Amino acid sequence: MSKVRPEDLVCKDVVELLTEFMDGALDEGTRTKVEQHLVWCPGCTEYLRQFRATIGATRKLAEEDLPQRVRENLLDAFRHWRHGS
Amino acid sequence: MPSATGDTGASETMRAWKFLERGRVAPFGGHIWPAPGGGAPGDWIQPPGGEVFACRSSDLPWWINAELWEVELEPPIRILSTQVAGRRGRLLRRMVGWDDVALHAYGVACAERARDLAVSILLHEGRSADADALRQTRTPLELYRVAQGLATDAATPGTTMVGYVAAAALRAAEGAGVAAARHSADAGVIADGTAGALEREIDWQARWIADRAGLARPVVAAV
Repeated sequence: MSKVRPEDLVCKDVVELLTEFMDGALDEGTRTKVEQHLVWCPGCTEYLRQFRATIGATRKLAEEDLPQRVRENLLDAFRHWRHGS
Repeated sequence: MPSATGDTGASETMRAWKFLERGRVAPFGGHIWPAPGGGAPGDWIQPPGGEVFACRSSDLPWWINAELWEVELEPPIRILSTQVAGRRGRLLRRMVGWDDVALHAYGVACAERARDLAVSILLHEGRSADADALRQTRTPLELYRVAQGLATDAATPGTTMVGYVAAAALRAAEGAGVAAARHSADAGVIADGTAGALEREIDWQARWIADRAGLARPVVAAV
């Protein structure tokens, strides 16, 4: 249902922009479009809420809080991700 | 100095409107705005490295939320396409005419407007039976069912439009007034089909909100 407002962002755009949105790194026009999307879209609003909650939770973690097995799994996942496999 | 609420401009500050989440929470910043009290405005808010954004009456449909407040913005003021910004701002009074009931009614009113526009278009297309079916609906859920049944293709403006009417009615039935308003405005754009159609729909919505929230009424008491 975006053809009526072709200049508007769709949910996929907003999700991709959320990190920059939270960092305050978007230009004013794009930030305004993200905010206006969030006003009416409960799905993206919930996604942003979970995103913020995750960041808040992980900020409280120290490196030593991570069990060795979880650390190895994460490092393994990152290695494969970086190699595109 | 331009004013959102009809000030003469004698003051250097600007009065405007601001939507907040329940409990005076800033929708995007997450901070809580200080409340007015004892006849005095709330404390000034000055976001670090940023500005305070608020609405003229015409901007209201873009920023709807649970609470509506009158705010004072401090210069320098910037006038943007769908909002205004000041160096800092403070709450003056809550507009108690805007609440959950008003938001729900707003969604229903928008869905009904979309329905009425669709009826006109369908009549213009010679589909009087479909127009009557839409016109006879009495609740958002009934409107949704009828409109959804008519939205079989997008061959004409009428058939395209009833899909948006169905979306608006469903959202209104769910109590999602903001989403209902968005789909209703989209329906209005299809019904109109000319440049400036979206602005005219937003203007209709802004007038509805201003009237329901009593924005033109004089101040009786600060909340």
